[in-house]
Amino acid sequence: MTTLDTGERRRGADVRPVITELIDEATVETIAQDAWIALVGEEEVLVPLPGEPVIDPLSSWVDVVGPWTGSVVLTTGRRTAEELTRALLAEHSPEVLEHEDVVDAFGEIANVVGGNVKAALPGSSGLSLPDVGDAPAPRNPEDVCRVDLLWRGETVSISVQGALPALPAH
Amino acid sequence: MMRALVIDDSRAMRRIVSGILEGLGYETQQAGHGREGLDVLGGLERDQLPELVCVDWNMPVMDGLQFVSAVRSNPAWRSMTIMMVTSESEHTQIVRALAAGAHEYVIKPFTADAIRDKLALLGLLPQEAVL
Repeated sequence: MTTLDTGERRRGADVRPVITELIDEATVETIAQDAWIALVGEEEVLVPLPGEPVIDPLSSWVDVVGPWTGSVVLTTGRRTAEELTRALLAEHSPEVLEHEDVVDAFGEIANVVGGNVKAALPGSSGLSLPDVGDAPAPRNPEDVCRVDLLWRGETVSISVQGALPALPAH
Repeated sequence: MMRALVIDDSRAMRRIVSGILEGLGYETQQAGHGREGLDVLGGLERDQLPELVCVDWNMPVMDGLQFVSAVRSNPAWRSMTIMMVTSESEHTQIVRALAAGAHEYVIKPFTADAIRDKLALLGLLPQEAVL
């Protein structure tokens, strides 16, 4: 008996969601706002407006692995990341801030935002420990949900971006 | 004075949680991951054990779930109340933590009031914080 390959199974496996089908910008913004109020301060708000391009950028991110795989990346200027660290540490902030303090605090913000983004996605996923440095580049422009916000007048962007390249068109 | 052990790989988060607990009247100790938390507990006499352990989920070396399981396997440590402090807000993860022996959980981001409310539920609000 001859079995014909209709491509049906292959096509089924080839379907994978892009992030814009799973979460919208408003949800990401709400998650970020909640994180800011709880971690950075009750009076601290993120204004949903695009700001100036970031100079000397620093990113913090966590990876999500599951039905959708990618990263939740926060990017702002290094100076702003330091300011965020001071706000987070409040009265515990050291006089001289070390890079390690910024890595720790900025990474924790990514952890909280990323954890809540992961929870908003369907299915069960794993979450990595946070990383801080140069952001991973998005691999598929269609698989990105990005919000640009202002904190104390400085640009903070949050990008929920897929780690997989776009599927080849059949 | 009531005692608490705060376990989180983020120094900033340890400071925040410890600050909230100290504000409520707790004396706190800190550890950077589950293994370090077990070491702290292992160095304490039974009457010095904390009433409360606040532990993060996602940590290097030993995560919160492994820590909870390790604590619950030691009969000498059964008196301690464990609260997971985590960004893992998926229901299945929370159920896993509770099944392993955690008593309560609070999801990051949280407010000081959320911690206070959970402690009140657990009957672990120091007297000075009740008044």
